[in-house]
Formats: sequence, C-alpha cells, structure tokens
Amino acid sequence: MADDLNRIRSILSVHRRQLLERPNVVATGIGYKETGGAKTEQLCIVCSVTEKVPAARLSAQEMIPSAVDSTPTDVIQTGIIRALQVPTDRFRPAPGGVSVGHVAITAGTLGCWVTKEGQKVILSNNHVLANSNAAEIGDAILQPGPFDGGSFPQDHIAKLTQFVPISFQGEPSECPFANAVISVFNLGCRLISSNTRYQVTKLQAEDNLVDAAIATPLNPADVNDEIFNIGTIQGTVSGELGMAIKKSGRTTGFTTGEIQQVDVSANVQYGAGQVAVFTDQLLAGAMSQGGDSGSAVLDDGNRLTGLLFAGSETTTIINRIENVFSALGISL
Amino acid sequence: MRIVAVWSVLLIPLLALGDDLSMSPSIQDVKKQHEAQLLNMAGVVSVGIGLDSEGNQAIIVGLDGSHPDTESSIPATLEGFPVVVQTIGSIRAQ
Repeated sequence: MADDLNRIRSILSVHRRQLLERPNVVATGIGYKETGGAKTEQLCIVCSVTEKVPAARLSAQEMIPSAVDSTPTDVIQTGIIRALQVPTDRFRPAPGGVSVGHVAITAGTLGCWVTKEGQKVILSNNHVLANSNAAEIGDAILQPGPFDGGSFPQDHIAKLTQFVPISFQGEPSECPFANAVISVFNLGCRLISSNTRYQVTKLQAEDNLVDAAIATPLNPADVNDEIFNIGTIQGTVSGELGMAIKKSGRTTGFTTGEIQQVDVSANVQYGAGQVAVFTDQLLAGAMSQGGDSGSAVLDDGNRLTGLLFAGSETTTIINRIENVFSALGISL
Repeated sequence: MRIVAVWSVLLIPLLALGDDLSMSPSIQDVKKQHEAQLLNMAGVVSVGIGLDSEGNQAIIVGLDGSHPDTESSIPATLEGFPVVVQTIGSIRAQ
C-alpha cells in the first residue's frame, strides 16, 4: 500500500502540470477511486474539475486519460476553488461585515446594505464613512478601507451620501448672542494690543443618538445584501435587556454577546481628545475592537437591532437601529 | 348639598392616593434625573439600566478606572432603586 502510494506520488509529480493545464481542472491529488458512487480500495490520481463535460465535447488533448502510466484516474466535480476570504479582503459584490472606509480614515466595517429612496446604500458610522464630520458629501468610500490596502480609484466602491453630524463637547459655539458678546471682548483685546482672543465653546454639547452615515454605490452590481458569516437580515427588532446578539466585523469577525444595559448615556472619546455624549444606547459585553465600528448587530433570528460604534475593554456600545433609521430616513 | 359633601370626603383620599401613584417614579425617570450629575463625577463614563447581582433592575454606573472618591460618593440606592458601580475602562469610538 505504502509502495503503491509512493509510486503514484512520483507518477503524479511528473504528470501534474500537464493535467492541471487541461480545461476545467482545478486540482490534482491521490485518493481512492470511486465507481458508481461507492469508494473502492483502488488508489488513483484524482482530478478535480469545475464541471464535468461530456466526453463528446472534448478533444483527445482536453480529455483526462483514464489512466496515467498505468495508474487509473478519477474525475470529480468540485466547482471553482477560492481562497477563504477574510473581512479585510476586497469583495465585489461587497457584503456587510467587511472592511470599508472614507479615503482619509484607517478602516471600519460595512454594516449592511439598507434602502434610501428606493436605492441600496451602505450603512456604517459617521466616523467610518464621513471622517467624524470632516468629510464632504460625495467623498470617496473605499472597500477595503485604506488601512487594509484600499486605494483610490481601484477600490472606490461608493460615494458619501449623508451623515448625522456628531456633536462634540467644547466645540466652537454657533450661538449668535454669545459670539456677538465675545467679538466685543476681542475688539477690546485688539485695542489694547493684547495677544489674547476669546472663543465661545459649548459647555454642554447636544446629546447624540447615533454615529451613522450612508454611501451610494458607484455600481449597483457591487451590492451583496448578505452579511459575511451571518447571512440574510430578517427584519428589525428593538433591543431589550438580556437579548442575545451577534455581529460580523472587520477586526474580530463573528462574535456574540448579550445586551446588559439599555437607556445608556455615555461619554465616548473620539481621537484627538474629542468627547461626545450619547444617549439611548445599548450596552453589551466585550464583543468588538477598533475597526469593528459600523458593524450591524442582530438578534438570534437575524433581525437587525443596532449599529456598533464604540467600546471599552469590557463593553460594546451600540446605537438603536430605530434611531439610526429615523435619523437617516432609511429602511431595510 | 349633603351628597356633594359626602362625595368630596370620599374623593379626597382617592385623589391623595392618585397623587402618590403618579409621584412614584420609574427607574427610567430616576436615571434621567440623576444622570447628568453622575456623568459629571470624576471617572464616570456611562449610566444605564441593567440588572444587579440579584436580578433586580438597577442603575449601572460605569467608571473608566479606579476612582475611590467617586465610588464612595455614589449612593447605594437612588429613590429605592439599587445602584451598581462597575469599572469598564474608557469608551472609545472603534
């Protein structure tokens, strides 16, 4: 038996290349020959093909011989063999759960495809698709995101369509009264040649409900309605205490958790010392890391319940999907 | 006239009871009323509604690290609802 195997190995090494060059052949190996659907004791050279073609349609050169150097062959249909993909790869069409990002950011997660005015659009976070308020409508969205090798224009998948501005604490105020008062102070400063100038900042920024944005695909054929490693979304559901949840994200892939708190108000840090207050959030245990932002969060029945956007060492913070949908005027 | 008087005597306790019922706040109300103050305390990063170790609805306060002063100044209950303090670390956009 071992002698047989070694003999066939050396035969295969001689003939492998010319077998793989034939149409439809995607793999060669050594296995037991199957006859009439049943495995036999006979070792053979197995040729895997994308599809079995009737002998009549093949020329002699294209056909796999019934034996090679007196070793029998077998032909099995396996379809196209693809490398197993990871969420940081380039996907076309692109499903939810894979890397995406505005040209000026690192990378986040494409949550899922939703509908805006009859058109399928990408749903993710403002800080993923709109660079935390810094983007312009129409800016390029790359899949994968820049950190994962996405570059413009090759990986340009969509254009930023709409985002919900995040209100940060300590931002310059738009209050006309306060700004008028301060401009008088600053005039005074100029008059006495002081280098000091005053600026009005918001002590208490408005509360945020969502960190959300949408982007319209350049090509409708790039839309894959499923979520990588999860499947098809089966409607929506309002998040409740104790609900079992799952997500598929760019960094930690498929993970599960449980809603441990509702009605959560939280101070969330964005880069560069910016802090934003969020209210009416869902809180789960640790089920995400940097780069998972934008992941769609679903219940056991694949119903969409939230949009993941932040977390600490032990927690994950999730926008309620009903707040996301109403802020952006979108639906499934 | 007498009937009205009798009715008003009967109604007074009912109205008082009604007032009491409407004054009994929900955990959502209590959390809402106290959360701004809690979020302004050193190290507090979140306030939400969850369950305590006995499975009762509780107000859960999250800290970004060890803050003994904050921990000692957060009451064990707020208007009858248990308050649980947890260290969860800083919350960052991911």
